[in-house]
Amino acid sequence: MSELPDLPSIFFYILVTGLPTTLILTVLALGFGFLLGMVLAIMRVYGERELAWIGSAYEKLMRGIPVLVLIFIFAYGIPEIFWYLDSLYRQVASIILALSLRSAAYQSQIFRGAILSVNPGQMLAARAIGMKQIQAFRHIVLPQAIRLAVPAWTNEYSVVIKDTSFAYSFGVIELTKAAYRVSVNFPILWAPTMLIAAILYFLVTYPVTRIFGKKQNKRLKELGIGGK
Amino acid sequence: MRKQAAIIGMILCLGGGLAIGWFIPSLFPTPTRVAVIDTIQSRGTFIVGTSADYPPFEDFYTNNDTYYGFDVDIADLIAAEMGVTVVWVDMDFDSLIGACTAGSIDMIAAAMTYNEVRAEKLAASTTYVTVAQAVIVKNSSSMAITALDNLTIAANQLIGVQAGTVMQADLEALGMVAGVNFTTYPRADALMLALDGGAIEAAYVDEPIYEAFKTTYEIKVIFSTDPEPLALWTRYSEPELLYVMNKVILEGYQDGTIQDLIITWFG
Repeated sequence: MSELPDLPSIFFYILVTGLPTTLILTVLALGFGFLLGMVLAIMRVYGERELAWIGSAYEKLMRGIPVLVLIFIFAYGIPEIFWYLDSLYRQVASIILALSLRSAAYQSQIFRGAILSVNPGQMLAARAIGMKQIQAFRHIVLPQAIRLAVPAWTNEYSVVIKDTSFAYSFGVIELTKAAYRVSVNFPILWAPTMLIAAILYFLVTYPVTRIFGKKQNKRLKELGIGGK
Repeated sequence: MRKQAAIIGMILCLGGGLAIGWFIPSLFPTPTRVAVIDTIQSRGTFIVGTSADYPPFEDFYTNNDTYYGFDVDIADLIAAEMGVTVVWVDMDFDSLIGACTAGSIDMIAAAMTYNEVRAEKLAASTTYVTVAQAVIVKNSSSMAITALDNLTIAANQLIGVQAGTVMQADLEALGMVAGVNFTTYPRADALMLALDGGAIEAAYVDEPIYEAFKTTYEIKVIFSTDPEPLALWTRYSEPELLYVMNKVILEGYQDGTIQDLIITWFG
């Protein structure tokens, strides 16, 4: 076989071939999860009792199923749900669907907590000056709730980005798979290659949680939003 | 009261969800059958699943981002017959059968041995190459066996195989238990390192693996089985594709192409 590559070139190989896919999977899963999670949170806070039950049942169900099992269900169990996609993309779609459904359950908890931590007096005050409930939610509660949700939400980001590595066994060339391929070519470099993969995951996770987590907490305190 | 109602509601939702899930497949209209070979030709790509970590059958060069190996060349021959190009899907060996059944890949080319359990799920092509399994030890070892079940009396944990292979199945058929009577390794080179370092005394591997490593380590074959057939796999619902696969293999043997490939890859 050819001669051993140096560590920087392994780093850039994984960075170029693996990281974009990992980030795309993360963004899509978080995006769909955000939409569904927000709907679920609103259902649970403002919905009728029955709607709240459905939301809560969904959360409990999805929080109790491992992501890998969900991916297997969609990818191999009922692949027909993606009948409109070319067969090459069905497995990717299953992974995104599974990650979003699971993420939605956690995100709805985050948003529910955020909405509830906006003082209910504000909603009453808004109603008292003649706003409809939906207007009050849209202009008074939601802007604060979203800001309050950011620190907890970055935690969800850090979970989802690591869970995208499940795509490894489904023929998606993401960060873990790229690192695995380098290791297969050069078995003597297993440890350093996996260390590089670990560093890359850390580099895309920590700064985000740091900037949006701790700094946002500080700003929230300055703005005086939320509880004490 | 409210709590009870909530619990009942949740159980109903769960039950309802399961019921809906059960009927989801029947909600979609069964599409009129399109032979996958037509799909392959209209999109111009042939999607082949493999687990690219098994030289000399299939591997992936990270240096120039290409797949190479014996199975890769065979799949290229089949694609050339249909006038299309191969798109490789590189996944876990264990996931290949599921992916092919689900229709995510058109064919499996992953040095997969023919056996009945697999043939119940997928359609095998005709044999494109046969591979013997061998028990190998270090040159300095005095171990000698005359049949595979002699391995059962060898000391515990001193035999190694690659996980998930027919070799593991063979040992399990002899009543041996992974982790108790033998050790499994994810990859062939890890197995060879363990053998060389003395962690295991004997390794049970595909013969080409021995061929590939015999120059690196001082190892010898003490026992080899009869050659077993390897097959390419597709779904039973695609006889047209299976026909092309078989045709390419048989014609490849007729005009010597496959013999040349065997010499290239297995020496």
